[in-house]
Amino acid sequence: MTAALPILSVLFAVLATAIPWGLPADATFILPLVVVMMVFCWRALPGTFLPPYLAMLLGLLTDIMSGGPLGFWALMALIASTAAGRVPPLADGQDRNQLWLVWAGVAAVIASLGWLLASLYFVRWIDWWPIGFGALVSVALFPVVLHGVLWIRRGKLRTGQTLYGRWS
Amino acid sequence: MRGGHSPFKPRLRRSWRAPGELLNFTLYFLCAVLLVLSRIGHGAVVDARDRFIDLTAPLLEAASAPVIMGRHGLARVRSYVGIVSEIDRLKAENEELKQWEWRAKLLERNVAHLRSLLNAVDEPALHFVTGSVIADARGPFLRSALINLGRDDGVRIGYAVINGDGLVGRTVDAGASVTRVLLLNDLNSRIPVLVGAAGVRALASGDNSGELKLEFFPDGASPHSGDEVYTSGADGVLPRGLRVGAVTGSPGALKVRPHAELSSLDVVSVLFFDTPALTRTDPPAVPVAGPLSPAPDDAQAPPPTPTASAEPLPADATVKHVGTADGASPGAGVAQAQP
Repeated sequence: MTAALPILSVLFAVLATAIPWGLPADATFILPLVVVMMVFCWRALPGTFLPPYLAMLLGLLTDIMSGGPLGFWALMALIASTAAGRVPPLADGQDRNQLWLVWAGVAAVIASLGWLLASLYFVRWIDWWPIGFGALVSVALFPVVLHGVLWIRRGKLRTGQTLYGRWS
Repeated sequence: MRGGHSPFKPRLRRSWRAPGELLNFTLYFLCAVLLVLSRIGHGAVVDARDRFIDLTAPLLEAASAPVIMGRHGLARVRSYVGIVSEIDRLKAENEELKQWEWRAKLLERNVAHLRSLLNAVDEPALHFVTGSVIADARGPFLRSALINLGRDDGVRIGYAVINGDGLVGRTVDAGASVTRVLLLNDLNSRIPVLVGAAGVRALASGDNSGELKLEFFPDGASPHSGDEVYTSGADGVLPRGLRVGAVTGSPGALKVRPHAELSSLDVVSVLFFDTPALTRTDPPAVPVAGPLSPAPDDAQAPPPTPTASAEPLPADATVKHVGTADGASPGAGVAQAQP
């Protein structure tokens, strides 16, 4: 059951992207980016089971739910998964600010690539503001999401691993 | 950088050995292939998506119910907070509407008289079916909503979708029990419209923002802020005269603010308006005799109010009914031609 926690929690976030919250038009990028952020956070934690192919599948599910082009959020989740795989795992004594900084970079890459991809897909320049705004909000929300992910895993992580650096 | 770590220092993980990298490359390639297939609208991709959405519809409906209930609760609290000023506003509005009622009755008499002189044939009634929004499928590329009506309810691709305030969008995907509605403000939405009392032809295009761009009006035409915008029916898909919104902005950058609140839709109605253009693109399972498709079998139930109510319904209410809306008679709701 513990091994399935990352997948289940991200699945829950995917479902939340499809619920009619009544968000304004500019905020439509935020929820899918939370899904990508969760993939990033889970992948950055040591000993969690969320391989890239599952990250991609969860992204694909977001695509299906959002009605957008298939492969877009799958690609974004894959990029986040790859980036998280390149950073030292949180258990190595790395503080969370460093991970936050990395996420800021990943969010910038995802926003730029997403905007470019969307413009290519529709053969016209897409308004950059909603995706830029979504990326900014995702950077601001990162500590909250990371706390949530760690909260979900707390039971397992307390068993001897030195985690959480400065924010504990 | 505590501990001398670089944030991008490669770490030994199984996924970064050679087979893992090959798998990663394959996954990236697969994403690219999916994007291309999605762009060209490959039938298998569309079908698979429709089937999946049909399967997950009950889950989405159940997950949305508490949120919709919460939104209704919040709306109720807000209305209680401003109830005194709301009563004053309604009283003033009621006075104004009484004058309009008198003018409407006068115009109705005149229209009836002129129609009798012309031997005009009454326009056939539009059948419709009403359901509720179960998912807010508004991604970066798409402004759409999923509703709990599908082909089993008689819905087909291309039908107009309205609510109590006006046009909401049109159906673009229809599964057995779920339909995706492309909202007016979607990037791919183009609605031929008539603007103002003069009925100036134009095109209202979505750009993923809250308002629509108003383009392609004839030389010399100068729509003004506040002019009413309604469908022209020139595309052969949407019925003529559905309320869309009102003109806003300045000359040169005119926009249309939709009457319907597209970011918080609850109850919507799908109008069964079959045209030759629609029949070509999405032929009905059973050919229909007339230009308008009949409502489904259960349409024999007593007809409800002709339009979806703008009043929020209780979240647990089953909103799925069928009725008819007279396309010509005034006062039959929002799905009628402007006078």
